[in-house]
Amino acid sequence: MTAALEITGLVKSYGSMRALDGVDLVVEAGTVHCVLGENGAGKSTLCHAVAGSLTSDEGSLLLYGESYAPRRPADALAAGVAMVHQHFSLVSTLTVGENLRLLRLPDLAGRIARVREAYGLVLELDAVAGKLPVGVRQRVEIVKALLRDPRLLVLDEPTGVLGPAETDALLETCRRIAAAGHAVVLVTHKLGEAVRAGDHATVLRGGRVAGGGPMAELSAERLVPLMIGRSVGALDATVAGAVGLEPGAVEPVGPVTVGPGAAGSVPAAVEPRGSAPAALDSAGSAPAAGESAGPVPVTADSAGGGADDGDGQRVGGAALGLSEVTVRRADGTYALDRAALEVGFGEIVGIAGVEGNGQSELMAVIAGSLAPDDGRVVLHGRDLTRAKPAARTGAGLGVVPEDRHHEGCVPELSVAENLHLGRLGEFKRFGVFLDRPALGRATEKVLGEHDVRAPGAFAPMASLSGGNQQKVVIARELALDPLVCLAASQPTRGLDIGAVEAVHARIRAAAARGAGVLVVSAELDELLALCDRVLVAYRGRLLGPVDPRAEGARERIGALMVGADGAGVPAGVGQSPPTRGPSPSKAIGAH
Amino acid sequence: MSAPTTTTSPPPESPPSAKPHPTPQPALRTRLHTLPRHPLTVALVAALCAAVVGMVLVVAAGAELGSAWQALEEGMFGSSYAVGSSLNSAAVLALIAAGFTVAHRAGLVNVGGEGQLCAGGTAAAAVGLVLPAQVPTAVGVPLVVLAGFLAGAAWASIAAWLKVKRGTSEVITTLLLNFIGIGMVSLAVHEEALLRQPVTSSETLPQSAPLPTGAQLPLIGDVESPATAVVVIAAVAVLATGIVLRHTALGLRLRAVGHSPAASARLGLPVGRLEGGGLAFAGGLAGIAGAALVATAPYVLAEHFSSGYGFAGLVVGLLARGSLTAVAAVSLLFGFLTSGGINLQLAAQVPASTVQIVQSLLVLFIAAAMLFTTRRPGSRS
Repeated sequence: MTAALEITGLVKSYGSMRALDGVDLVVEAGTVHCVLGENGAGKSTLCHAVAGSLTSDEGSLLLYGESYAPRRPADALAAGVAMVHQHFSLVSTLTVGENLRLLRLPDLAGRIARVREAYGLVLELDAVAGKLPVGVRQRVEIVKALLRDPRLLVLDEPTGVLGPAETDALLETCRRIAAAGHAVVLVTHKLGEAVRAGDHATVLRGGRVAGGGPMAELSAERLVPLMIGRSVGALDATVAGAVGLEPGAVEPVGPVTVGPGAAGSVPAAVEPRGSAPAALDSAGSAPAAGESAGPVPVTADSAGGGADDGDGQRVGGAALGLSEVTVRRADGTYALDRAALEVGFGEIVGIAGVEGNGQSELMAVIAGSLAPDDGRVVLHGRDLTRAKPAARTGAGLGVVPEDRHHEGCVPELSVAENLHLGRLGEFKRFGVFLDRPALGRATEKVLGEHDVRAPGAFAPMASLSGGNQQKVVIARELALDPLVCLAASQPTRGLDIGAVEAVHARIRAAAARGAGVLVVSAELDELLALCDRVLVAYRGRLLGPVDPRAEGARERIGALMVGADGAGVPAGVGQSPPTRGPSPSKAIGAH
Repeated sequence: MSAPTTTTSPPPESPPSAKPHPTPQPALRTRLHTLPRHPLTVALVAALCAAVVGMVLVVAAGAELGSAWQALEEGMFGSSYAVGSSLNSAAVLALIAAGFTVAHRAGLVNVGGEGQLCAGGTAAAAVGLVLPAQVPTAVGVPLVVLAGFLAGAAWASIAAWLKVKRGTSEVITTLLLNFIGIGMVSLAVHEEALLRQPVTSSETLPQSAPLPTGAQLPLIGDVESPATAVVVIAAVAVLATGIVLRHTALGLRLRAVGHSPAASARLGLPVGRLEGGGLAFAGGLAGIAGAALVATAPYVLAEHFSSGYGFAGLVVGLLARGSLTAVAAVSLLFGFLTSGGINLQLAAQVPASTVQIVQSLLVLFIAAAMLFTTRRPGSRS
């Protein structure tokens, strides 16, 4: 039979950079074909070339045996190729029905009904698109694509913003579309998804096909080397987590916790929690290991439990403490609803949760770009609730913002300038001029220490890869002296595996040096492998904590993420969300 | 704006490496593609197009191309008077454009040069007129210039304050403050209680009394030339601004704020102070330009004393696109073209507006060319 899509020798250059360098790909009808690769491997470029939003320089495409050369998205749609973009294209103030009507398709109701019957995709047409959860919005996007009854559906990184349950539903939908005889191209950098949903896989690396074949013959262990060019054994468990592998696939890293005595002062020597398997004494995956190791983190239950009633030293003794932090949105709803947490010295605390449950606001409150309506932010006994960012930095709070390009760095400025923007006063010549040579020397040193690959100290930040940019941001924040607490939001989002590994190593090293670390991440596996304690953000509240080493931690966190507290959450772990009135976290707020 | 690759030797074959991207391999086709997109080529083509339109207009006005060119050239360089008045115009434009560039570094677009110039001119006249007639130049001129700077900065600070505290777009506020500033000058020169000279007859013009000699900008160069100290002030301002922007921490902080206020705030920079300060400084330089116009012959504040310099300076700033070298060059070009245009009308009977049309076309062509150069090649069919 003819292939649904046959790509031969596709080349696309941006200036001197070859995003696609002779890619060959065959997608059979009735299959889900996964395109895997690290960031910058050319996955998105390939999608756009197929969907007509950019034209390729060389190479040819055959669609069901016919020559196919889309020059604009409309050509692709006319040929029966639909694409679901990484970013949603819904008008958020219109209802779902109105959004679909914008497509101006004949017999819309009939089409919606057919899609519902064929794929089980049910939509609430009267709901306002902007108020829907991301998973539902994505379903609308997929329905939008399917309404045209495409022969080929391209999904570009569809699971980036979805929770585990939503991801499962999406993969199920992909299977159904393929079962209906259509072809699906699923682009992802998460191996786990590909293994679960794909029939075939093609791995891109550096714009070329690194390998591929039927999924039955491939395994995660064989795909990872193709993606990164080295073997999986060299990887750390957290890295495997970041690419969506089950943690069992690689040996997990043992938990090393800091004893209660560490609270209140920076411990002089903390056992390094490096990635070396030697660090684990009692095999990390055993549920009892956490308790038997004795030193349960001092603040393990402070966020949800009532153990610290009347203990005024707790907030002051922790590296970072938040109490009763409340943020209201413009529409009166709560972005943060009396969120409380504590991060002890040397401890790594994770915040899980589906995006949009207050994580961004939480980080903004900590970083100082958002003043809470209520509550306090305390860094090692200093109240920083209303402090300016400069004062927070001075007090030893390092922040790795969620959006690297928006807040983390200034892409147009050079690496040296980005690294030292906050302390240019130290680089003066004749009292007035900026001492660029000194700036360059200081930067070269940091670049060397943190293994940042940059064309030079004065190369624009934008010329670095995402991973190296993030390394620069983290290097800058870790350079604080003293570093009391590091708050990192989505520290590995969009990074390739090698960079994820480096970032995790830095985070662990910071904790090993005695700093408290707070990590907000959408990657559950990452948190499970990296953190001593995981809290779950749900509708502005922080639920938990969950001990990531305990059995069933993943399921418990998953349940808390979707608000199914109680269901499957053993008592004592999933302290029910604080209700109005005497709440457990009140004890902290009272001081 | 990245310069195109002009290497002629083939790049080395990319060795197999762990890096995600292959080494650059610019194809000959890409190089040919980028050549017409080079900013310099674009500027030249734009200038050529504008010049051709200018010639057509000259011919349409019934003049000979040769004699028109002669008149234009004579108006620009023909006498030390021509050169002097060209330099004065260029200096005023350069002051406003340099201020525009500073604010632009901080990410703000100051379209309020005209209003700030009016405020500066009014304050300069007010201060100059209260000075005693015998005031020495060494005291009078600095006072007048300082008054202009402060008034211009204060005028711009209104917009800056609204921007920093309320987030109001500075484009809107500075634009609207122009009209208030222009109206203020009108009011001041029409009311005897304010700055109008004593009305002795029905023919007394609505303008201020002339400034005392000690408050008038001294002439520089030979006696024939009307060039005043404003040329020196502008040169110093452009040079100093250039050095500060390029070689000091302040310049770098302004640039950081301009590119990313969020990241700058995160890194502890005083974003509001930098933004507001940049805009106020822009207003201050425009105010100095206003003071200079008042303190130059005929040494009075009158309606329309600004002659639209505020807007022309804005155009210079836009064209210079952040470079102070370009500010100096474009100011000189526009300054000389303007005086040339006046002579064009006098000597060749070609309307001086021809030059204005050519200047405007230059701006339009260059703006259009920007779109052309910045559009991602291959993104659209």
